[in-house]
Amino acid sequence: MISPIAWLKERIPVDGDQLAELSNEPVPNHLKRWWFALGGTPAYLFVVQIVTGILLAFYYEPSPRTAYGSVKYITDTAAYGWYFRSVHKWGATLMIAAVILHQMRVFFTGAYRKPREINWMIGMCLLVCTLMAGFTGYSLVYEQLSYWGTTVGANIGGSVPLIGPFMREMMLGGEAYNERTLSRLFIVHAAILPTLMVGLIVVHIALIRLQGVTEFQFKDEDQTKPRHFPFFPDHLYTELSIGLVLMILLSALATILPATLGPRADPLSTPEVIKPEWFFYVSFRWLKLFSGTFAVLSTGFIAFTMFIWPFIDGWIRRKSKYQEASVAVGIVAVLVIIGLTVWEAAVAH
Amino acid sequence: MDRRGFLSRASSIAMGAGLVGGYGVFAAMAGRFLYPARPSLKGWLFVIDVASMKPGASLTYTAPDGATIAVARQGLTGQVGDFIALSSTCPHLGCKVHWEGQNQRFFCPCHNGAFDPSGKAIAGPPKEAGQSLGRYPLRIENGLLFIEVPLEGLPGQEEA
Repeated sequence: MISPIAWLKERIPVDGDQLAELSNEPVPNHLKRWWFALGGTPAYLFVVQIVTGILLAFYYEPSPRTAYGSVKYITDTAAYGWYFRSVHKWGATLMIAAVILHQMRVFFTGAYRKPREINWMIGMCLLVCTLMAGFTGYSLVYEQLSYWGTTVGANIGGSVPLIGPFMREMMLGGEAYNERTLSRLFIVHAAILPTLMVGLIVVHIALIRLQGVTEFQFKDEDQTKPRHFPFFPDHLYTELSIGLVLMILLSALATILPATLGPRADPLSTPEVIKPEWFFYVSFRWLKLFSGTFAVLSTGFIAFTMFIWPFIDGWIRRKSKYQEASVAVGIVAVLVIIGLTVWEAAVAH
Repeated sequence: MDRRGFLSRASSIAMGAGLVGGYGVFAAMAGRFLYPARPSLKGWLFVIDVASMKPGASLTYTAPDGATIAVARQGLTGQVGDFIALSSTCPHLGCKVHWEGQNQRFFCPCHNGAFDPSGKAIAGPPKEAGQSLGRYPLRIENGLLFIEVPLEGLPGQEEA
């Protein structure tokens, strides 16, 4: 009589020790400081978004006739529907915040420098995907603000020279918002972006594993102590704890400040005060400050500069004596972003 | 067990309990969320003026959810007992039956089930299982015939 474990081992020839060895990457000590574990936070929130998103998709119906009603059904009638919708909404908010904080940490510690330039660029792609997921997700609610937000967003895209009108038509499935627009936005939100992001996250993490985490040593650390700790179980415990804390935080936010539902979209009347989600306040204010085409082109230029920043930074460091110029650039950028966001949040128009 | 070992054991148990409790509750809520919320809404809807339907006559009533219901008058008293409203859903496996005038029976094309005009099974699997066609409740008020049917699918309900 062959034991079930031996039977299984014969068919799945994986050695437990090998698995442990594979996953047991030594983790540098500085990861015990929580702000270095910020990359795991958006990854965890991404999983939360996938799970709650699949649940919501059971009841959501992406067409102008049914979308608002189905969101209302989820919010008011389905058991715990309000909870899952609110967790999805807050998960998106926290995910964008976590991605930005993670990016700031990487930027200010110079962790994007050679040989990690490509992983910075993959991270930028993930940032863009996250923002697009936020935009398309909000448009699915089909309430007044989300409808007009989508319309304005599509027209901003449409004002890009040359390719703008084409991009707008691809996004809306026609020259303007129509019967087939929501199903397009839904499939981008629920199928294309998540698939793309899973792929990017796999490469992002694979590159971290291949190159190792950038190592820091703080002055107050004991130089004689080992500089690494094992991934399993120490770092796994850290990540599991972060996950539970985030779940508690999400549940608390969902309960105290549940996702609301404004009036149904009315394509014939624009509300008096129209705002995008908070993470687009920056570009919204930027748009009001400059003329349409310049604002769009400058936004694209800034994004491109961020994308290739590791190379610009490398060039500055080779050619000049300002070795930490990126810190000054980063501080200015953060202040401008915070300033524009607060400005947009504070005024009605 | 020393203090360090105890703390390590205790924190592992706390972690396990947190994971099972936290995600377990989440999974239970997800299950409840996916289970259909409530039985569908029913309501009384007008069918026909009793006087305009003679004994022996029948009509096909279409409910808001699209189900067709055979309504027949079999008596003269003018009371609700004169009428029957038969579901067109075969009790065997849920196919739709249709009325065969020449054979005076309802016939289900899926497995050759047949029912007499009162809905009683006379052939096929429903007969072996002793199943009859389902009946809808009827009511007469001021000479008007009403039927109780599921309301879901009423146009305009979502906008309300």
